[in-house]
Amino acid sequence: MRSFFDYIPGNSFLHRLNPLSRIFLSFMISIACFSSKSHLFLLLMILLNLVLAALAGILNRGMELLKNLSKFSVFIFVLQVLFVRRGEVLLEMPFNIIITEDGISTAIIIVLRLIGATMPLALMLSITQMNDLSNILVVKLKIPYKYAFAFTTALRFIPIFASEMSAIIEAQVSRGVQLDTKNIFKKTRLILPLCLPLLITSMKKIEGSAISAEIRGFYLRTGESCYRKYFINWNDVGVLLFAVILFISAVFSNNIKL
Amino acid sequence: MIRLQNVCFNYDRDRTLTDISFHINKGEFAAIIGANGAGKSTLCRLLNGLLKPSSGSVEINGLDTGHTKSSVLARQIGFLFQNPDRQICRNTVAEEILFGLELLYKDREFIAERLEKVLSMFGFSAEDNPFNLSRGERQRLALASLIAVEPEILILDEPTTGLDYKECIEIMEIVREMNKKGTTVIMVCHDMEVVLDYAERVLVLSGGKLIADGETRSVFCMNDVLEQASLIPPQMASLAGRLGSGFEDVFTVEEMTELILEKSNEKRRVEV
Repeated sequence: MRSFFDYIPGNSFLHRLNPLSRIFLSFMISIACFSSKSHLFLLLMILLNLVLAALAGILNRGMELLKNLSKFSVFIFVLQVLFVRRGEVLLEMPFNIIITEDGISTAIIIVLRLIGATMPLALMLSITQMNDLSNILVVKLKIPYKYAFAFTTALRFIPIFASEMSAIIEAQVSRGVQLDTKNIFKKTRLILPLCLPLLITSMKKIEGSAISAEIRGFYLRTGESCYRKYFINWNDVGVLLFAVILFISAVFSNNIKL
Repeated sequence: MIRLQNVCFNYDRDRTLTDISFHINKGEFAAIIGANGAGKSTLCRLLNGLLKPSSGSVEINGLDTGHTKSSVLARQIGFLFQNPDRQICRNTVAEEILFGLELLYKDREFIAERLEKVLSMFGFSAEDNPFNLSRGERQRLALASLIAVEPEILILDEPTTGLDYKECIEIMEIVREMNKKGTTVIMVCHDMEVVLDYAERVLVLSGGKLIADGETRSVFCMNDVLEQASLIPPQMASLAGRLGSGFEDVFTVEEMTELILEKSNEKRRVEV
């Protein structure tokens, strides 16, 4: 089963871009989402993410990501609606719970921001190989290799740990632990003791990776050790300009009243 | 006891198992063999309800696994995973064995009695830290915590992987002992010598299909089936096959030694 961080190979326009352009574009979309307070602009950003996913041939993953983020967003939305108390009161409930116009508006903005800012990063990781990512961090952004390697390794380990956790859950369910219950509180209480086997296997995996990297000369690597070369062409320039325009539009979108 | 009828299973869009049907009786010792990716582990997960069939039905003692939670089936089925570290989640050997017992039983006296019995049966020290044990000992501990709850069915998913010969024999002898006491055993194994030594019945999977099901020795004589499943028969069976007529029923070193001695004595008598 594939996770959201697994690389999906392809030869699309976005796949052929310099990894640095992809990183820049995804960060600018995220920053644009955080800079704008316009509902319409944020909705357009989500739409843009889906268009980019379709361009990269990963629309299915984009839709799946949107679906999962939407589920999480419901929780954030409810919290925001309940805790923002300024503005015109729309509904009063027992225990001094009030729902205000500002509360709903802020909740919508935060949810749209969350979705709009998270999607580009996950989609960028889906079309960028981890080696390219660490190479570009070292070669172009001059980040020391050990930090770039640690960053990409951490990303690489997320799906591995997720699959390890699901294997541990399977093993425990087979022993009679009721992790297949639908009661979320009971499930959380039962999952906590499973952190021990996850921690043990994770530490073993990390230690194994560290030793494997060290015995292959990890500390001999410098910025010049990169075998691949990454060139910037006109497509990249176009994407970089587009990203800057997005950011400027985000700032100006705050002045538009709808 | 275990009945599969026209079971199909798909992972995402890929079909993993196609039209699997068989029946396993109480007290049988069956091995599921096949190349990597044949669907052996998937079949095991279907048996204890971790996976639900896409079509067809899996019944364990009359319970349809498609509509029964795995945690409920755990009362009847013990599942030993290839990697014991996924199963062990307590800080002492005793706590680890108690973990399954406390989940399934309420009677304190029974629990204490079972704990003592299992500790002495496996020779574990109650206060040892499971994560300080060797790989083979951790596998034995995982098996001990399963046996403690006395399941009617024991499913072993590659139980001897990563173990040395002595550890492998220790594990398999315990399983054989359980089988003699009436526990039904289903084992996935890549070691054909182990399969020949312990299993009475073999099910061969290839490309998600059940291509043979029969008594162990007769299946190991089906060269075309073994070839189709990319399996190599036990060495002594291969040797006997090459020697040809008169060696058809030879599968073990003991049998081969006996037959050779018998044939040489016969030859000597003829010469005399």
